[in-house]
Amino acid sequence: MNFVKRYLLPRLIIYFLVIFIGITTVFIIPRLLPTDPVLQTITRLRAQGAYMDPESTQRTIETLQELFGLKGSLSDQYVKFWQRLFKGDFGPSFFQFPTPVMTLIKQSLPWTAALLLTTTLVSWLLGNILGGFAGYFSSRRWGKILDYFAMVIRPMPYYILALGLLILFAYVFPIFPLGGGYTIGMRLTWSWNTFLTLLRHAFLPALSLLLIGIFVWFQAMKLVVQSVKTDDFVKYAEIGGIKSNKIARKYVIKNAMLPQITGLALSLGQIFSGALITEMVFSYPGLGTLLYNSIFTGDYNLLMGITAISILVVTTSILVIDLLYPLFDPRVRYK
Amino acid sequence: MKVLKDLLRDGKFAFGFFVLIFLIFLAFLSFFSPYDPYRWNVVPRDTPPSWSHILGTTSRGQDVFWELCFAVRNSLAMSLIAGVFSRIIAILVGMVAGYRGGMADRFLMFLSDSFLVLPLFLIIVLIGSMAKARLSLVSLGLLLGVFGWAWDARVIRSQVLSLRERDFTYTSLLSGARTMSLIFKEYMPFLTPLVFATFIGNVSWAIGMEITLAILNVFRIEIPSLGTMLQWALNYQALLLGYWWWIGTPVVTSVMLFIALYLLSISISEYLDPRMRVQRIGKA
Amino acid sequence: MKKLLTVLLFFSLGLIVFAELTVPRNETLIVNQLTGRVGTPGNFNLWVGWKWSDRGLQNLLLEPLWCVEYATGEIINALAAEPPIYNKDFTQLTIKLRKGVYWSDGVPFTADDVVYMIELSKNTAGFAYNSQMQEVKEVKKIDDYTVQIELVKPNSRFHTYFLDRWGGFRPLPKHVFEKVSDPLTFEFNPPVGTGPYVLHSYDTGGYWTVWQRRDDWQRTPTGILYGMPQPKYVAVMTYGGPDKQVLAMAQHQLDAADLTMEALRAVLMRVSTTRAWRKDYPWTVNIDPCVTGVTLNNMVEPYNNKDVRWALALAIDIVEYAGNAFDGAVTISPIHIPLTKSYMDTYFTRIEDWLKNFEIDIGDGQKFKPYDPNAGQRLAEYAKKRGYPVPKDPNEIKYIFGPGWWKYAPDVAEKLLIKNGFKRDPRTRGWLLPNGEPWKITVYCTNTNPAHPAYRNAFAVAQEWRKFGIDVDVVVFDTPTVVQQGNYEVSSDWPAAEPWGGHPDLYRVLDPFNSAYMVAIGENAAWGNYSRWTNPKMDKIIESLRLTDWNDTENIVKLGLEGLKLLIEEMPTIPTFNYPGVVAWDEYYWTNYPGAENMYSQPYHHWPNLKYMLPFLKPTGRK
Repeated sequence: MNFVKRYLLPRLIIYFLVIFIGITTVFIIPRLLPTDPVLQTITRLRAQGAYMDPESTQRTIETLQELFGLKGSLSDQYVKFWQRLFKGDFGPSFFQFPTPVMTLIKQSLPWTAALLLTTTLVSWLLGNILGGFAGYFSSRRWGKILDYFAMVIRPMPYYILALGLLILFAYVFPIFPLGGGYTIGMRLTWSWNTFLTLLRHAFLPALSLLLIGIFVWFQAMKLVVQSVKTDDFVKYAEIGGIKSNKIARKYVIKNAMLPQITGLALSLGQIFSGALITEMVFSYPGLGTLLYNSIFTGDYNLLMGITAISILVVTTSILVIDLLYPLFDPRVRYK
Repeated sequence: MKVLKDLLRDGKFAFGFFVLIFLIFLAFLSFFSPYDPYRWNVVPRDTPPSWSHILGTTSRGQDVFWELCFAVRNSLAMSLIAGVFSRIIAILVGMVAGYRGGMADRFLMFLSDSFLVLPLFLIIVLIGSMAKARLSLVSLGLLLGVFGWAWDARVIRSQVLSLRERDFTYTSLLSGARTMSLIFKEYMPFLTPLVFATFIGNVSWAIGMEITLAILNVFRIEIPSLGTMLQWALNYQALLLGYWWWIGTPVVTSVMLFIALYLLSISISEYLDPRMRVQRIGKA
Repeated sequence: MKKLLTVLLFFSLGLIVFAELTVPRNETLIVNQLTGRVGTPGNFNLWVGWKWSDRGLQNLLLEPLWCVEYATGEIINALAAEPPIYNKDFTQLTIKLRKGVYWSDGVPFTADDVVYMIELSKNTAGFAYNSQMQEVKEVKKIDDYTVQIELVKPNSRFHTYFLDRWGGFRPLPKHVFEKVSDPLTFEFNPPVGTGPYVLHSYDTGGYWTVWQRRDDWQRTPTGILYGMPQPKYVAVMTYGGPDKQVLAMAQHQLDAADLTMEALRAVLMRVSTTRAWRKDYPWTVNIDPCVTGVTLNNMVEPYNNKDVRWALALAIDIVEYAGNAFDGAVTISPIHIPLTKSYMDTYFTRIEDWLKNFEIDIGDGQKFKPYDPNAGQRLAEYAKKRGYPVPKDPNEIKYIFGPGWWKYAPDVAEKLLIKNGFKRDPRTRGWLLPNGEPWKITVYCTNTNPAHPAYRNAFAVAQEWRKFGIDVDVVVFDTPTVVQQGNYEVSSDWPAAEPWGGHPDLYRVLDPFNSAYMVAIGENAAWGNYSRWTNPKMDKIIESLRLTDWNDTENIVKLGLEGLKLLIEEMPTIPTFNYPGVVAWDEYYWTNYPGAENMYSQPYHHWPNLKYMLPFLKPTGRK
């Protein structure tokens, strides 16, 4: 019972508070933007509609404010926003009116989730394994080569790296497509062929994310391992004659994983903001462009929809990590 | 000086150090530039490197070398502001939260959690586009600083937390040491490598962030920086037109800068971490 | 590790085998989508909200009543059979419809569709043209091919709502929409149109839409007017930025691209089968019905002063300006309409002599003739110096680089400013405002696309004014609200609203300057007058124009000229050059694109006129 009262309860309270503050912030900040969604919509409509004289423009502004639910005071809008939120409804997108925000998110989420979940997990795993071994056997040759590789790849401006990959593998050696989620003119069906096409289109975006991701984890893990391995218990193990491979696996890496697990939780949460530049360079579908465009079109509802989901996921993963932490590190007690 | 000498013996440190010194020298050189970085057509356009323009010229009629000097100066200044500012916050928050625990810990971690869960990139883009007309180098640095501490504060806190559980804390407490002196005397040596590593990491992050913001057209493109330099080159298709000197310069420079920072951070933390130092002496 | 690598290698080899396109490439035209990735891929209801109409909706699927054709300066009667017929006091409009047109599902297109669409729009808030259709008192069907509209108040330009110029109120199928309970959320999927193509497939991620030619293409206005569109399929694809499009073109995976000047040079250099609108330099499209330039906020000091506005214009060296902006590949225009061939012939030739004699007062009783008839020639010389081939014939140069512009006269600009109390800082030589503070200008650019003329204009003007001694700052800002609400000094928004493009009428350009629309700073200015400038003389011109019939060309031109002259005298905004459109075509699979030497149609694939261009394309027979 003590656990619930002294550890779980406060954590839960904080959890809900953080969500509340976060979501309130994403409610307020877009409204401080100089971008007015109604005017943005009209500008767009004007680009599409031939001609709108100033009188009918005024009429349109009023109609749109009504439809967008932007009439009424800020507090009214805020209350309505929470009411809708509890029903899992973020309202219509302004820019893509009247398509509901949830529909838009549902359209883009699978692409983002598939691409980023895979790359995040794979790069975390590979990066940590490689980093762990390279850190433990830091004097070996392959570890050094990997280290140099990481040093050059990781700091590359991601845009340049991605563009470089694209030029190399889609233009110089046209092995992979230049962009898109799947082949032009194709209808998606449940088949092996579809799967391969999807995989082929996801390959370069994934590769670019993996390259950076792996080496980020690699470097972090290597540093941690190098410091853990000088800890006493490793020394004892070495003196005790345990094989170095086993020490690396069982003692060093396992202990060094702690901060990495927290890191993984956080980066999994960030998935929901999408990978904007990846999507831009590889013309890959996803949440990133959706989110980015929502900023510049003043599409509050869409903006809030995506960020609210992202906040929920990140806070939840932090909570889970917080609760699990003592399981990994006996030195930290539930307090 | 002796410290520096010691450090310079490490090849990694020496490399990073000299690259950084060279870049700082470039930044300093910008004060003697013969050209105004805000003026176009001061030199012939699109010429490859030559004796008169050692890094060639751009499609805007600017000299790449001198543009680079301004860019390095601005990027370094901006990232230092971000790094220092966020370090101050991170150390204070992390130490207080970790050591005091209780309500203070909960509140501070709540604060840092809130910063962590906010989609950071989005908020920076939002604020950036909101304040764009007034977004100067200093304010961009501060903005990145405000958002760059939360994770590091958590790291520092957990380090303090685990230090607190170790024997020497109890020993010092039992022997009557005062909180502040305990924190600074006993914890700082353990925290310094962490702070240093996170500082350099944060500087790198700020430089990278600026590049991303510039590519996304959120930062003011007329202010010369590594990001805007790259953005102009990309905008003017330097890559496809074969103006390698134009696009290559900011890319190579930023990669070198990142490598230098990384090597410095590794080398310094190895040096500062007493356990690692023993290891090194043992090796030598 | 080795095993893993082998598996990976095997996998990637397996991936390579699949072809890129599922429709036959040699029967497909692939065009870039200008507006980028579609946010609502499954929704084709173009009449609600923003719908990425250039994904094929406006350029392949639908036909308008009328469409502008600015290559020839005409109006195409598409679903309408003839120009609009107004009564004497412009309260009644009769539209005759084309016979023999069918919707793609086989239902004939008739007056019922037009009546229904107007009524639906009028009664549905949130539907396209809802606010404009409030002007309709009654709409009725006279017979199957005649519609009569009664207006609430006189409007001699009411039909322009139905005139397609990258947008217009296009007829929708009554038999589809009348079965729908909520036309706002209706997705119109699969779409039904009167155009020559129907939907084949689309990407649920929003990157491409493929269209297929109708078997009964003869029953569409395109087929009736121009014959069979040649490509069996048209794919509208978003590749991304210009660099991506260049790469796609290099692999012959894209036939028509929207590029930047620099990307165009790259693609011409790398891909031998590509061409631009003009085969040689300056390559760019100069018949776009839009003039670009600099907008000054006439409601704030010191830009409310005509002398200051003129000084700013005279401080611009247009040749250097055009060089900085587009490497000289533009058609400069001193007047507030673009100098396309048709506007050059209708308007410029009639105003040229007036321009040459036009004088401004520069103080101390001195007069100055600001027009420089040789500016176009000078621009051509600049291009020559840059190493580009330039024609010798002055008349040809006039049409390519533009006739003249304002003189580069910083000395006169200086006089104008000093006359108004401005001073130069004795130390820095920078300009001081009459109140002694340094003159600082922030140029707002409301377009973040670096290829966009607004972007290029902003940086080019900053260069000129900096040289003149003004502290200029450029802010690229993806939100027009700041400029719309007047919280700015200078912006690179269009100096005036675009004219129709296919008709001599300048009502669209002049009407926004109507003083009736003027609002205070902080409120939204009328589009086309973000400069917030009005003039009683302009009000009179607009009033007369409203009373002139659409078909009364002579009086329309006369009033248009008056309006243009007034704009020049007052210079509320500074026009600089025609919108330089940068398109590239790949002639690998298709040829006979409408280039400058063969201007049968406007050149853009994202314009509604694409469907009228397609019957003229020729397949090369390559596989």
